[in-house]
Amino acid sequence: MSKKVLTVDDDSDISIFVKTVLEENGYTPLVARNGETGLAIARDESPDLIILDVLMPKQSGIRMYRELKTDESLKNIPVIILSGIAKRTFLRSQEALTEFGDESIPEPDVYIEKPVDPMELAGTVKSLIG
Amino acid sequence: MKMNKILLIDDEEDILDVLSLSLRSDGYDVITASSGEKGLEAFEKESPPIVLTDLKMPGMDGLDVLKRVKNTNPDAEVIVITGHGDMDSAIDALRYGASDFVNKPVREEALEIALKRAKEKLVIREKLRAYTLDLENMCHIAIGEVKRKSDFQDKLITSSNDGIVATDENGIIVIFNPGAEAIFGVPRIDVVRKTDFADLFPTEIADVFSLMFKSGKNMGDVGWKEVTIVRKEKSDVPVRFSATLLYDGEDIIGSVGFFQDLSEIKHLERELVKSERLGAIGQTVARLAHYIKNILTGLKGGTYIVNIGLDKNDTDKLRTGWCMVEKNVGRISSLVFDLLAYSRERAPEYRNCLPNDIVEDVCELLEGMAMENRIKVVRDFGPRVKEVSMDPDMVHRTLLNLVSNAVDACIFDLDSAKQQHEVSVKTRLEKGNIIRFEVADNGCGMNEEVKNKIFTAFFSTKGGKGTGLGLLVIQKLVDEHGGSIDILSEVGKGSTFIVRLPYKKAV
Repeated sequence: MSKKVLTVDDDSDISIFVKTVLEENGYTPLVARNGETGLAIARDESPDLIILDVLMPKQSGIRMYRELKTDESLKNIPVIILSGIAKRTFLRSQEALTEFGDESIPEPDVYIEKPVDPMELAGTVKSLIG
Repeated sequence: MKMNKILLIDDEEDILDVLSLSLRSDGYDVITASSGEKGLEAFEKESPPIVLTDLKMPGMDGLDVLKRVKNTNPDAEVIVITGHGDMDSAIDALRYGASDFVNKPVREEALEIALKRAKEKLVIREKLRAYTLDLENMCHIAIGEVKRKSDFQDKLITSSNDGIVATDENGIIVIFNPGAEAIFGVPRIDVVRKTDFADLFPTEIADVFSLMFKSGKNMGDVGWKEVTIVRKEKSDVPVRFSATLLYDGEDIIGSVGFFQDLSEIKHLERELVKSERLGAIGQTVARLAHYIKNILTGLKGGTYIVNIGLDKNDTDKLRTGWCMVEKNVGRISSLVFDLLAYSRERAPEYRNCLPNDIVEDVCELLEGMAMENRIKVVRDFGPRVKEVSMDPDMVHRTLLNLVSNAVDACIFDLDSAKQQHEVSVKTRLEKGNIIRFEVADNGCGMNEEVKNKIFTAFFSTKGGKGTGLGLLVIQKLVDEHGGSIDILSEVGKGSTFIVRLPYKKAV
């Protein structure tokens, strides 16, 4: 059975794009529109990898990443952050949350800034889960 | 003081004995002396308040005793004893300060009365002394207090950072503190009691003072006024000032003006505006960059999917990819339009058009996206809305923006338990050549905070998918067209945007 990859993005273009890249490379894509449904799907389907956008309405990627990494059953799933904001900014926001009393969490496995190249994305997914 | 001590002086021992006996029995403490000299000695030693002395004595006589006693203690009461019918001596004695006289032979009642008077005088004098002392003390304290107050006020005026300028009732300057020296750039010695306010103040301020003096009324509710003071050979000072008349009861006794140097505040304000602007530009650039990155990703994704479709001859893929490309090209042109519209003045271009057709066009454009998300688009076009002259591009732009916002509001609300999400678009003719366009949704709605910010540049609730320019541009376009926008919104229930636009008759 092919490996499952969950992509969480509120922009349908990016979802379709990422979904197509995953299909073309032999993975089973799962699509969520926001952090809330993303978490629910992650719990139900236990994907092998999660590709996560940062800026989304409702629950943002910043929060969802934090929940993923503090959930015993989810924390070992590798995460690729795919975002229009700079990696530096994302890490700063995580540091800020840590300083405000949340527990410290590891950096994401891979951080890709948009626009993303399909070959690069496919290569990254392969290097993480084969 | 012991009031019942009496010095009794007489050269006749008998009289001394009898009188002292009778006085002692009346409760007096009696000292006796048998001559003037001895009497004086006793007086100095015992300082009795009352002296009773015979006038005719060998050696120092009673008159001498009287003089010396009065010399030593003017307050002592001296009663002289005179021989029968010796009125002249009695008058002499009174002239020299005796308080009373009694005739020989001394009758007890007469002596009693004389003593009583003397004692009363002593008591009164004692009270008077106490009062006087009290009064002096009070005066001293009061003067000290007044001085302290005046010193304090002086220091207050001198050390105030504000410039304080006071005039007398004729407008002549009487107080000019260091703060005023700094603001007006002239030393107080050149001003105080030498010039009146009209010479010192710029016209704008002088007019306020003139008016106050003329009308006898204060500046009123004006409070602080801002003016710029132009100084000779020095930079201008922005100040704010307030002025008030000084009254003593009903009478005007002068005026006072308070001046605050605003240079530093103005400087900080400018700095703040500058840094805010820089911050805003930075934020703008970051937001735009993010937005453009999303568009680029969409274009890249689209071409990637088109390529796959071409490779595999997969028309489904071709269509999906091409849709993405088209959509993102649309997003870019829309962004460029918004940026240009936002940054430039644009006069409306009136042309004949059918508003209902424009709105129908907008509905068709967005219906695809709405249906994808199971959102119903409801049309309610007023049949009386006919061909008119207005700016059709502007109407299109405005409605496209509002309807797509309404669809987004429903999409954000998809997870809620609503039966059916819908966007309704209404047009109506209103009195006064106005067309009302109404776009209502039952999507997520807005809270007060969001409602207050929606017309702020680059404010967006759409994550990275909005530029935060749309409504701002709409507002500008509607303003330029002489129209208005009203908003009703409730969190969880939806929003309604009402745009009223004036039109001209079609030509």
